[in-house]
Amino acid sequence: MTGLLHDARVSRGQFLRMMGGLAVAATATACSTRPETTATTGGGATTELKFIGVADQKAPMDELVGAYQKAKPAVRITASYAPTDQVQTSLRTQLGAGNAPDLHVVYPGNGSAMSMAQIAEAGLLADLSAQPWAATVPAGFRPAFQLDGKTYIYSAGSSVIGAVYNKKVFDKAGIDAPPTTWNEFLAACDKLKKAGVVPIALGAQTPWVTQLITYALVPSTVYAKDPTFDDKQLAGQATFAGSGWQDAMEMYLELQKRGYFNDNPNGTTFEQQTSMVAGGKAGMAVQVSAVLPDFRKAAASPDDLSMFPVPGADDAGSVWIPAGVVVGLGAAAKGRNVEEAKAFIDFLGKQENINAWAKAISAIPLTQDDSSTIDPAVESFLPFTKDRAVPFMDQRWPNAEVQPVHFAVVQELLAGESTIDEALKKMDEAYRK
Amino acid sequence: MRKTFLLEIVMIAVAVAFLFPVYTLVSLSLKDPGQISRSPLALPDPPTLDNYGSAWTAAALGPSLVNSTVVTVASLVALIALGSFAAYFLARVRTRLGYGLYVLFLLGIVLPFQLGMIPLYELVNTLGLIGTHAGMILFYTGIQLPFTVFLYTGFIRALPREYAAAAQIDGASHLTAFTRVVFPLLRPITGTVLILNAVFIWNDFFTPLVYLGGSGFETVPVSVFAFVGQYVSQHGLVFAGLVLGAVPIVVVFLALQRYVIKGFASGLKG
Amino acid sequence: MTVSSSRRRFTASAPSWLFAAPALAVYALVVLYPAVSGVVYAFTDWSGIGQDMSFVGLANFGTLLGDDQAMGSIGNTLLLTVATVAVQNGVGLLLALGVHAKLKSRALLRVIFFAPVVVSPVMVAFLWKYIYNPDPSAGLNGLLGLHVDWLGDPSVALWSIAGMVVWQYAGYSMVIFLAGLEGVPRELHEAAMIDGAGTLQRFRYVTWPLLAPAVTINLMLSTIGGLKLFDQVFAATNGGPGYATETLSTVLYKQAFVFGKFGYSTAVALVLALFVAAVSLVQVYYLRRREVTA
Repeated sequence: MTGLLHDARVSRGQFLRMMGGLAVAATATACSTRPETTATTGGGATTELKFIGVADQKAPMDELVGAYQKAKPAVRITASYAPTDQVQTSLRTQLGAGNAPDLHVVYPGNGSAMSMAQIAEAGLLADLSAQPWAATVPAGFRPAFQLDGKTYIYSAGSSVIGAVYNKKVFDKAGIDAPPTTWNEFLAACDKLKKAGVVPIALGAQTPWVTQLITYALVPSTVYAKDPTFDDKQLAGQATFAGSGWQDAMEMYLELQKRGYFNDNPNGTTFEQQTSMVAGGKAGMAVQVSAVLPDFRKAAASPDDLSMFPVPGADDAGSVWIPAGVVVGLGAAAKGRNVEEAKAFIDFLGKQENINAWAKAISAIPLTQDDSSTIDPAVESFLPFTKDRAVPFMDQRWPNAEVQPVHFAVVQELLAGESTIDEALKKMDEAYRK
Repeated sequence: MRKTFLLEIVMIAVAVAFLFPVYTLVSLSLKDPGQISRSPLALPDPPTLDNYGSAWTAAALGPSLVNSTVVTVASLVALIALGSFAAYFLARVRTRLGYGLYVLFLLGIVLPFQLGMIPLYELVNTLGLIGTHAGMILFYTGIQLPFTVFLYTGFIRALPREYAAAAQIDGASHLTAFTRVVFPLLRPITGTVLILNAVFIWNDFFTPLVYLGGSGFETVPVSVFAFVGQYVSQHGLVFAGLVLGAVPIVVVFLALQRYVIKGFASGLKG
Repeated sequence: MTVSSSRRRFTASAPSWLFAAPALAVYALVVLYPAVSGVVYAFTDWSGIGQDMSFVGLANFGTLLGDDQAMGSIGNTLLLTVATVAVQNGVGLLLALGVHAKLKSRALLRVIFFAPVVVSPVMVAFLWKYIYNPDPSAGLNGLLGLHVDWLGDPSVALWSIAGMVVWQYAGYSMVIFLAGLEGVPRELHEAAMIDGAGTLQRFRYVTWPLLAPAVTINLMLSTIGGLKLFDQVFAATNGGPGYATETLSTVLYKQAFVFGKFGYSTAVALVLALFVAAVSLVQVYYLRRREVTA
C-alpha cells in the first residue's frame, strides 16, 4: 500500500476515502464542503456573516460594521477577535476542516500560515479582482494583494516601521530635530543616554517585536543598493548571509553594545516597551505605526508621541524605509454566503471607508482623496513612500518558517548566545525549506 | 504545644509568600496607570474600581457568563452521570475485558489533544454543532470522561461491596442498587469530580475559541482574552478583566473545597 | 443481557456492561475515533488546509530524527518534567505534612494552597509574565531586591516556567498527599511513639510506606502534566528566548499552525503520545510494585 500511494498527489477527500475503515471521515469531509443553509432569524431572511479577526482589527471593524448595518439591515455581521496566535490556531483548524467563516483576517503577501498567498494557493479565498477598489491598488503593493494576477485580500492601506519617540524626552535631552543619518541617530541615542533615559526601549520578549529593528534597517542596507534583492533571493542567487542583512544585524548589535537598549530586552515585553516610551522612561522604540494608538493610550498626552524614519545609512539620500500593507481580510471561497461576504468587502473598498479604517489604525490610506487624513506622526515618512519604500520583508518570503527563525535568532543574538554568521545561516536554511 | 505554634507561624509565612502573585493581581487591578508605573508593589492608594467597570463593559462579560455557566453545568451533569455508571461497572467487573476497557479509558489521559483535533472538529461540524452549546457539552463530556472514570473507579473499588449486595438481596437490580445505595455514597468523590472538571471546563480557552468564535455564544475565557489582546498595554484594566473571569470558579471552589480532600482521601486505595 | 434481567435473582455478579456503554460511546466518538483518524495525517505531507495531500510513508519520522529544534525540545521537555515533578511533589508533601498537623489556621491554609489550581493556566502565565518582569522595582525582583531576567535569560527561563507551574500545582499534590495522610491510622503513630521512635523515624517507617498510593497518583499525574505542558510555556515565552524553552508540545503546535506542516506535526504528536504512555506505564508498574512490597 505504501508503494502504491507513494508520490501520488491526491485530494485529501480521496485520500481519506482510500484509507479503509475511515468511511466516517470521508463522509465528514464530503459533508463539510457542501454548501450550508443561510441562517435565518425571526421574520424576513437575515443573512448572518461570520467574521474572525485579530484584536488590532476591532476598532476599525466595529465602526464599519455599524455603518454597514445601517446601509444594509438585512445582513448581520457577527465578529469575534482574539490575539494573533489564537486566531491563527482557530482559523487554521476551521479552514482545515472545511468550515471557514465567511470573512476572516488575512495577512498580505506570503511568509506566514495566514498569509494571502498560502491560503489562496489552497483555493480557500474568494477572488476579489472584479471589485472597483482592486483595480486601484498601487503597483508596488500588488504582490501583497495578488497571487497570479488575482486579488484575494482587502487592506485599507499601509503602515510604516520607524522610531516612535517621546517629544518631551527628546527636547529635554537637547535633540532639536529627528536624526536623518545613522551617525546622527547614534549621536541622538548618546544624548538620550547622557540625559539619563533609555535611548531605545526594546521589548524582545514579545516575539514579533524582535524583527522590527532589522526591518527598519534592511531597506537601507539591502534594498537601497539592490531593489531586486527579493527576486534574486527567490531565484537562489542571493542569501541572507553575505548580504546587507549582515550589516543590518551588526548595526542592531552595535546599538546593544553601546548600551542604547534597556537592560534585559529579552525579558521585556511589548507592553513594557510601550509604557517606557509613553511614560518618558525611554526616548523611543522602533515600532510599526499601527501600534501608535497603544502608545498614545498609555501616554499622559497623546501629542507627546510622534515618529521618524530610522536612518539606516550614513547619507540621508540613501535612506529607505519599510512600508507594508496592513493586515486585512478576505472572503472564504467555499463559504455559505460568498456573495454577501464579497459585498461587504466591496463596501469596505469605498474611499470613505478606506479612509475611516486607515484613520483608526494610523495607516496611510490605500488610495486617497480630499477627505483622506494622514496621521501627523507618519507625515515624515510620506516623501519616502513613492520610490524609497519596500514592503515588510516577510511578505515575499516563500514559507512560514523564516520569520519565526528570525525572531529566535535575534533573541539568541541579544542573549549573546549566537553569532551573526550562525544566525543568518539558520535563516538561509529555513528559507530553503 | 510550642512546636505546633512554631509550625503555625512557618506555615502562615509560606501562605503569605504563596499569596504574593494574588496580591500583585488584585492590587494592580485597583490602580490607575500612573500608580502602576510609580509604585508597582505598594498597596493601591487610593484604590479605584474604574478598571472593573471598564473591563466589565469592554469585555461584554454578561452574556459570556451565561454561556459559560450553561456549558459547564450541563457538561458536569453528563460527566457525573456517564462517568459514575461506567466506573461502577469497571470497578466491579473481574474479567480481562473489563480491565482492558479501563485501560482504554485511561489512554484518554495520555493522548495529546492535538492528535485528533481536526477530525473532531470535522465531526462536530458534520453534526451541525459548531457554534452551539450542545457541541461544547459533547466535547467536554468526551474529553473529560477518562479522568472522571479514573477518579470514580478508584473510589468505588475502595467501597465495600456489601452495601450494594445487601440491597440486591432485598431484590433490587444493579440499577436500583446503584442509584439508591451506591451513588449517594459517592458524594465525596463526586465533589472532587465536580470541582476538578468545573475548573477545566470553565477555564478552557482553546476549544471554545475554535468552536464558538464569532457565534455570539462565546464563553468567558474567549471574551476575556479578546479583551486582553485589545488592551494589552493597560495592566490595571487587563488584570481587572482576569479577576472578573476567575471570580465565579473561585466562588464554586470555596463552596466545594471540603469535598476536594475528602474525595481523594477515600479514593486513594483504588 | 439487559440491566433488568439481573433483577431476577441475586448473585454476587458484576453489573452489566451496559452501565459503561453510554460513556464508552461518547468517549469513542469524541476521543478515540478522532485520535485514530488523526494518526493518518502523520504519514502525509498535508499542510493543514486545502485538498492537496500525498502519502509520504515514514518520511515525517525520518525528518524528526534530523530536526535539531525538535530534538532539542525533547531535552527541554524532560528537564522541565523532572524539575516540576520533583519540586511540585516535594513542596506538596511538605505543605501536606504542615497542614495535616493540628493548626488553628489549617482549614484556611489548605484553601490558600489549593486556590491557584482553580485559576486558568493561561491567566496564571499572563500574571506571572508580569511578576517575572526584569524591572528591579516591580514584581518578584522588586520584592526580593534582585536583578534577574527571569524569562529573558536563556539559562533561567526554563526554571522560571517550572517555578510558575509549581506555584500553580503544588496545592494539587498537597491535597492528594493530605488524603493519603488522613488514611494513616493514628494508632500506628501512637504505637511507634511508645516504641520510642522520633518524628523522622515515624515518618520513614510509618507514614511514608502508607503514603505509597498517594505517591503513585501524584507522580503519574504530574509526569503526564509535565510532558504535555503547553499553555504555560506558550503564553509565557512561546518557546523563547531563542529556542531555550521550546518543548515537544510547542514544537508540534508551531509545526501545525505556524509553519503549515500539519502532517509532520501529527508525527511529533504521535511520538509524544507514545512517549507519555510508555513513561506512565513504566512508572505505574514500578510504583504499584513498591506499594505492595512496602
